[in-house]
Amino acid sequence: MTNLNAVDPAAAAQDAHLDSADVVIGKSTIIFRRFMRNKTAVAGLVIFLALTVFSFVGGFFTTWDKETIDPFNIGMPPSAEHFLGTSQAGIDLYAMTVEGTRISILIGLVVGLVSVLIAAVYGCTMAYFGGKVDKVMLFVLEALIMMPALLVVAVATSGGGAGLKRDLPSWLLLIIVLLVFSWMGTARLIRSLSMSLMQRDFVKAAQYMGVPPRRIVWRHLVPNIGSLLVLDITRGVTGAILAEVAFSFIGIGIKVPDVSLGVLIGGATSQVQTFPWMFWVPLTVMFLLTGSLAMMNDGLRDAFDPSSSSTGKARKARKIRVEKSK
Amino acid sequence: MSSETTTGSGPTASVNSTEDAVERLHIAGLHAPTDAVLSVRDLNVRFTSENGVVHAVRGVDFDLMPGRTLGIVGESGSGKSVTSLAIMGLLPETAEVTGSVRLRGQELLGLSDKAMCGYRGNDIAMVFQDPLSSLTPVYTVGTQIIEALTIHNPTMSKQAKEARAVELLAMVGIPSPKARLKAFPHEFSGGMRQRVMIAIAIANNPRVLIADEPTTALDVTIQAQVLEVLHTAQEETGAAVVMITHDLGVVAGMADDIMVMYAGKPVETGAVDDIYYNPRMPYTLGLLGAVPRVDVAEKTSLVPIDGLPPNLLHAPTGCSFAPRCPLASDACRDGEPPLAPVPGSALHHAACIKSEALGGDVDVHDIFAAPPVPESRFDAIPRTDRSTVLQLRDIRKHFPLTKGALIKKRIGTVKAVDGLSFDIREGECFSIVGESGSGKTTTLLEIMEFHKDQDGEVVIGGLSNKQAADARTKSAMRRELQMVFQDPTGALDPRFTVYEVLAEPLQNAGMDRPAIRTRIMELMKLVGLQPDHVNRFPNQFSGGQRQRIGIARALAVNPKLVVLDEPVSALDVSVQAGVINLLDKLRAELGLSYLLVAHDLSVVRHISNRVAVMYLGKIVEIGEVDRVFDNPRHPYTRALLSAIPVPDPQVERTRERIILKGDLPSPLDAPKGCNFATRCPVFAALPAAKQEKCLTLEPPLEAVAPSQAARSLQPEAPALDQQFACFFPDGELDDDMLVTHDQAEHHAP
Amino acid sequence: MLKYLAKRGITYVFMIFLTTSAGYFLAVSSLKPALLEQERIPRPTPEQVANSMRLKGLDPDLSPWERYVQWLTGVVTRWDWGRSPNGAYINAEFGDRVWISTRLFLASIILTLIIGVALGVYSAARQYKFQDRVITSYSYLAYIVPAPIAYFLVQLGAININETVGQRIFFVTGISTPGMEPGWAQVVDMAAHYAVPTVAITLVGWGAYQIAQRQYLLDNVNADFVRTARAKGLSRNQAIARHALRVSFIPVAQSIAFTIPAIFAGGFFAEKIFAWPGVGSWSIDAISLQDVNAATATLAYGSVIFALGAILADFATTLVDPRVRVQ
Repeated sequence: MTNLNAVDPAAAAQDAHLDSADVVIGKSTIIFRRFMRNKTAVAGLVIFLALTVFSFVGGFFTTWDKETIDPFNIGMPPSAEHFLGTSQAGIDLYAMTVEGTRISILIGLVVGLVSVLIAAVYGCTMAYFGGKVDKVMLFVLEALIMMPALLVVAVATSGGGAGLKRDLPSWLLLIIVLLVFSWMGTARLIRSLSMSLMQRDFVKAAQYMGVPPRRIVWRHLVPNIGSLLVLDITRGVTGAILAEVAFSFIGIGIKVPDVSLGVLIGGATSQVQTFPWMFWVPLTVMFLLTGSLAMMNDGLRDAFDPSSSSTGKARKARKIRVEKSK
Repeated sequence: MSSETTTGSGPTASVNSTEDAVERLHIAGLHAPTDAVLSVRDLNVRFTSENGVVHAVRGVDFDLMPGRTLGIVGESGSGKSVTSLAIMGLLPETAEVTGSVRLRGQELLGLSDKAMCGYRGNDIAMVFQDPLSSLTPVYTVGTQIIEALTIHNPTMSKQAKEARAVELLAMVGIPSPKARLKAFPHEFSGGMRQRVMIAIAIANNPRVLIADEPTTALDVTIQAQVLEVLHTAQEETGAAVVMITHDLGVVAGMADDIMVMYAGKPVETGAVDDIYYNPRMPYTLGLLGAVPRVDVAEKTSLVPIDGLPPNLLHAPTGCSFAPRCPLASDACRDGEPPLAPVPGSALHHAACIKSEALGGDVDVHDIFAAPPVPESRFDAIPRTDRSTVLQLRDIRKHFPLTKGALIKKRIGTVKAVDGLSFDIREGECFSIVGESGSGKTTTLLEIMEFHKDQDGEVVIGGLSNKQAADARTKSAMRRELQMVFQDPTGALDPRFTVYEVLAEPLQNAGMDRPAIRTRIMELMKLVGLQPDHVNRFPNQFSGGQRQRIGIARALAVNPKLVVLDEPVSALDVSVQAGVINLLDKLRAELGLSYLLVAHDLSVVRHISNRVAVMYLGKIVEIGEVDRVFDNPRHPYTRALLSAIPVPDPQVERTRERIILKGDLPSPLDAPKGCNFATRCPVFAALPAAKQEKCLTLEPPLEAVAPSQAARSLQPEAPALDQQFACFFPDGELDDDMLVTHDQAEHHAP
Repeated sequence: MLKYLAKRGITYVFMIFLTTSAGYFLAVSSLKPALLEQERIPRPTPEQVANSMRLKGLDPDLSPWERYVQWLTGVVTRWDWGRSPNGAYINAEFGDRVWISTRLFLASIILTLIIGVALGVYSAARQYKFQDRVITSYSYLAYIVPAPIAYFLVQLGAININETVGQRIFFVTGISTPGMEPGWAQVVDMAAHYAVPTVAITLVGWGAYQIAQRQYLLDNVNADFVRTARAKGLSRNQAIARHALRVSFIPVAQSIAFTIPAIFAGGFFAEKIFAWPGVGSWSIDAISLQDVNAATATLAYGSVIFALGAILADFATTLVDPRVRVQ
């Protein structure tokens, strides 16, 4: 850096045509590049995408489906005809796994995305209004945290909630219940983060300039909690997939005839000694799913973290460019 | 000048070649003064970072004699703190430390952590910068002092340790030390915690005490107290002191010798008077010229040092200061100059090939091309004829102080701002000074967050807050008034480019895109930034540049008044000067008015026209800046001014200073009458009958009467622009609060 | 302090009341014990069913609000939590089951805390070394395995050990062998029953503590006050052990609030898989048996556990952090 007071008129003229749009692209590009530099994270992304694709197109690679019984192959280990063997009822495990993976991913994505959305709205509202509104909403939030979610899941899915059960498939019911009980932690986090952002000088500066509150929230608050939101989405997806498996495993989540990874794993526990493939195949898929999400989460955290080591490299690269431009 | 302490090792401290270093170490072993308590030779520290090896300290040499004080002066990143940590052996394991550090002849470098433990806290102790985080929050102060005793005196009895701890607390001036032993750090104020830190450091009568920016985080009055405690501690223990600071004033009165560091290297060393009165290195010259003085009414610009310190990742090929040095020639870029003796003084060394030409009466303003003092067109118009841009009438902000968890009981009121009135005219800079807790910041908030229902009236550009019910009036008022924040980093959204930052107020004002673009280019030029940098993010700029962006944003909508909240306190001295000059220039060129809040009274004196001194929510003295600073009437103003160290060793050594007792009182203890009575040096010396008046009656703000002489010349002379609130401004000062350092302790020049 | 605890206590009592009431309405509107009764053989007439239900205070003809008032009156005035459809009294059942659950979890909670914190400290001290990587990777692994599956895998492992050894060392289900004589044999029998569930719950639980403790300690290792302690003459390790460690406990103590309920929730799975007749498995059974009062009682129990956890966390925080001590 040279003389601070020196102004290069040529550079000023050249720069008169700049546009802020390309800068925005620049920011997301940096984050994207940092993410792509992290090999573990990329591997996680690849595995997750592959499983998602598999859950949609996997069905086309076999002639069997999750309902047809093969009377000649009952409880058979993997073979040419049945890639992953069959259950003791004679249903193709491959077909069931494809279906189960799709349901699990669906539950994960819907719950992960929607719960973060609820949390963001709820948390920001609390932080923005503060005072009495904040107190009452915080009370509701804590009361919800206090409710043992599992009992409510059990009541909603296995109780005599006949009306509900008739109208909705069990996976949708599970999604709704998981949604009700999954957003509180994130909401609390967003509340405290937004509150501390509201205290930051750049928000104050905007307020003193007379920038309307709506615009402050949109331009300053949301982008600054954005990274947290993205991280919480991957965390929420993992959490929902795990919860589905756990609940279905002990028989209170998804109910047959609906299939999910949890149902498959839970159903196979009693014969894990005799039909081991029935247990290990869906379990492996679940591990791939949750593991790949955890890997992605790690890479995303690094990419967003302004103090992470990969930023250092990015910054250095930029600095060199700056020096060259002189 | 005494010859007891030597800094730098003359010709031996030359180039950095290995062979030479070996020789120097050899010489150090043989010829180091045997009575030096601490002897450092060719100290080098390297850190391995992501980006390469940072050579943070490059060849520091000094000898420290018993009972003497060495001041190490430098800006952030100059390697001064790393040097101290290297001596203490407290650097992380990844740091590579080479050279020699001898404590009473014993080599310390290369000792294991365990072996170092025998010396740390025993022979050599340290006081750190931030007292708030330097004490463990979960242990009582007593436990932490006693721990220091236990480590080095395992056989000491429990009673003896406790008695010693009480003695130590008393020595550093903590009232009722016995009871306070059981208090936790959070129950102490910052100044008190720093006293505890000093007590811990001197617990075992160390031979060497290193103080790393011990007062930077404190208020000026508290800084004066802590410096006094350090002084006492040194007298009590006879320790040699290494005082590390960026503030040339702090060391002027304390140090015997000075070492100025730049880019990891000592660039000038010598006795304190040599450095202050006969600097021979342009960097030292610049530093001295960059600091405004609180004690003289100077109306010259400050010396700005352009540019940034070099990146220590690369070994400098020439003088490391050359890129910023106005005197640099090609010879300067060819090889780093060694510390060479300055002719005429054996112990004065400077690392500059032009040092000989710099002696005598070279004017630093010429060298650094300090800009001329800007003239504002308003300066010629009498104040009363200029229009008012901001008026405050009886502003009050009280907070209830409550206690109790279940049922909140109101036990008192915090009068953060209590009946404040002042006005700011066109083209003037009005400053508010005071300790933290005096209500400066609340005053700013009351102005910035004006609303209809607040207690008191805020008039901005002729519009009163009482009429500001509709959005139109409000935004009209907002446009007259913009703010620059203390922390330039926090004030800029890290996700905005400079363009977006500057565009925000313009968009809000409803400007169209081409107009915004033109205006942004104008603003960048105005604050001295390169317009082609608008595409960058704030983290790509230095602190000073970020503050310039903050100023540009405030100016975007052409306000009449800019509120400056500690605009330079986060910046290094040399950068600070540039920003202050910029503010001066903008005020003159654009006819701006400033409302400045700053704790640094030298900055205030330099930049302001008028000043108000606040204490516990009230103005105790207000008026024209030179009047108030040269002839302070209120005892608090006098104490405040007296607390500021001046970068002039002679003045510092001889002047009498007022050291206030204790911290700002809790609002619960505030007396009914004059707020300041609890700490007032005049009050303490008053007879009881007069004290009664201070305690029961609130002194009003009264104008200073013109002097007898002035009145005889011009009988109709108007009242002077200086008002103060005290009944006994001419009262005697209490002897206990007056300190003059005995000159005999320090070497006579 | 007492005042503060009292204030918190009142808030939690109010919250427990709300959650329990909400739970009651949910249960009463979705659980229909009468439907099950009708599947009995010989099939009773609807009148008979309604009659027997009315006797047990489960009158299906009353509106949910009326039943709520009836139930609440019982709880508040006589501390009577009602009856199950099979006639059993909730109060009587409850005591036993709470005791069984407590026995199952107490050891696990303590072990989880101790092992998690100890490993956290150990791995922080060896940051980025082999041991740290292994321990921390394990904790992340524990995070992506659903609790019941982990319990099941531990159970499988225990079965394998039994089979390999050729005799029954561990019991993988149940709480004790009935008809044991008191004495040494009973102690051994108890240990054989407790071992597997305790190990399983602990193995799954400590990961979160390990990661948290490691992070908090690392955050404090380079704190200013640790440097001060070293400047006094403590070695690096001494300074960390005496100063950083204690400070790093503060956030861990706060997190107790969320762990105790989490382990309780995990208890549903553990009790189900290890066939322990505690509160968790009872509540799930109660729901499949359409037992309104039992389901509500277990829900209230869960809320109480959460409140206890929160108060305990306040207490623990006060213990380690003098700054929050209220004078």
